Amino acid sequence: MQDMNLTGLFIDLMGRLGLNYEFLATGYEAQIWRDGFITTLYLVAVTIPVSLIVGLIFAACLTSGRLWLSAPVRGFVELTRNTPTLVQLMFSFLVLNTVVSNMVGGAQNNPLSPFFWVVAVVGLHVAALHAEAIRGGIEAVPSSMIEAARGMGFSQFEILRYVQIPLAFRSSLPAIVNGLISLVKSTTVGNAIAVSEITYASIMVWTQRDNVVEMMIVLLAFFSLINFVVARVGSWVERRLAIPGYGL
Amino acid sequence: MSMAVTQTPKTTKTSSRVLRYVGFVAMPLLVVVWSLVDLSLGKELVEWIPYLASGFSMNILITLCAVTLGTTAGVLLGLMQLAPFWFVRLPAQIYVQIFRNAPALVLIFATTYIFPFEIVLFGNYLPFPDWVKAVIGLAILSSAYIAEITRGAVLSIPTTQWEATKGLGFSRLQALRYVILPQCVRRSLPPWMNVASSMAMGTSLASLVGVHELMHAATDASTAVRRLDFTIIAYVVVMAAFFTLCYPIARLTRRLEQRFNAG
Repeated sequence: MQDMNLTGLFIDLMGRLGLNYEFLATGYEAQIWRDGFITTLYLVAVTIPVSLIVGLIFAACLTSGRLWLSAPVRGFVELTRNTPTLVQLMFSFLVLNTVVSNMVGGAQNNPLSPFFWVVAVVGLHVAALHAEAIRGGIEAVPSSMIEAARGMGFSQFEILRYVQIPLAFRSSLPAIVNGLISLVKSTTVGNAIAVSEITYASIMVWTQRDNVVEMMIVLLAFFSLINFVVARVGSWVERRLAIPGYGL
Repeated sequence: MSMAVTQTPKTTKTSSRVLRYVGFVAMPLLVVVWSLVDLSLGKELVEWIPYLASGFSMNILITLCAVTLGTTAGVLLGLMQLAPFWFVRLPAQIYVQIFRNAPALVLIFATTYIFPFEIVLFGNYLPFPDWVKAVIGLAILSSAYIAEITRGAVLSIPTTQWEATKGLGFSRLQALRYVILPQCVRRSLPPWMNVASSMAMGTSLASLVGVHELMHAATDASTAVRRLDFTIIAYVVVMAAFFTLCYPIARLTRRLEQRFNAG
């Protein structure tokens, strides 16, 4: 009851400002819209770890010095950085998804949802950005430090794990945060393949209500808020991990 | 062990150098080889190429307009952010903060649905096509990015230079015009090229609001032909087109960055 009153008050207040938020009082449209917010947040929450883990693996491959590891990853990174995310998504969804469907014998058996493809495509796209950032960080680690680690009997993998990545992660953190912000923005391409994230849900509402301006205000505020939180968490992590005297 | 260590940077270098050149031609080559191997597919593709090309010319048109408009607005906004008066500074700061965080797709939807489909000018009805709306959407986004680039570039010039111009009797605007901005152009060129290339890729989003561009053309073509292998090659052509447009820009950007860092 309390909640209903607050919603009513908000609609009334916005109505006086000339903004039409009447759909909030209806059950169905308000539900779609709320689910849209949740889907976007869920999408962001799933894609961020995917992009970070894959980005780390890519960076390790790029700096491994082994051609059979670095060349395919380099090719993939260049391809994904220089083609639109939307085209990659459509390609994956229309081509790879169909191929998978044919392999498992019909679309009804295909376990991969549009949601999966958005996570995969956006995650890998941003992973390529992370990989470049982390690679830059790994190459910036002073060679004397690597020699010291080798002198202490660290293996190639142990050097990567205990020396290069901890330092590289710190120095590439600002670039990684930028990548995450573009990740948040990229999740909107999901609406091309009918993932019901917030842009898709907003379109559903404004085609019924013709209140584009009102929905846009909320959309811009919502994305500003997520990106503000991501940037804040990023600078918090940066401060937490800072090594006094190392200048990172 | 030491052999491996000394070889490591060398092999990476050769591999990346080879890949660098392969990158320019790999995608178009794939399309050509594939259409030659499967001639019926190649024939189908050749028929559709003019249609796809007309789509891609729209992408290039939107990119050029959006980047021109965005750069003009962005440089102005960037300088406004540095103005000594708060009533000039604040609106620019708010604009940049809001639109820098906005997804390109949301802005394209916004301009498409908010603007009317025709404008009345002195009693004449002028059509307001969708592609112009997409240009405005992308221009808003790029102006916010470019404002930040401009601001950063101006701030990166040491204050001593401002003081020196003051000593030489330049006014603030003269100093900006003759001393500061020429140096900024050099510093902001690589990030500006990044924005231009991401705008070029952003034009594909216009297909979602019904602009006839490459992505849209490819979807049309694949629905008309209804062959899985044609769908694949159509999208490979789309990727190849964007890649051959953006990859040289990316390479040039990296070259410039390296040269400026060294210099």
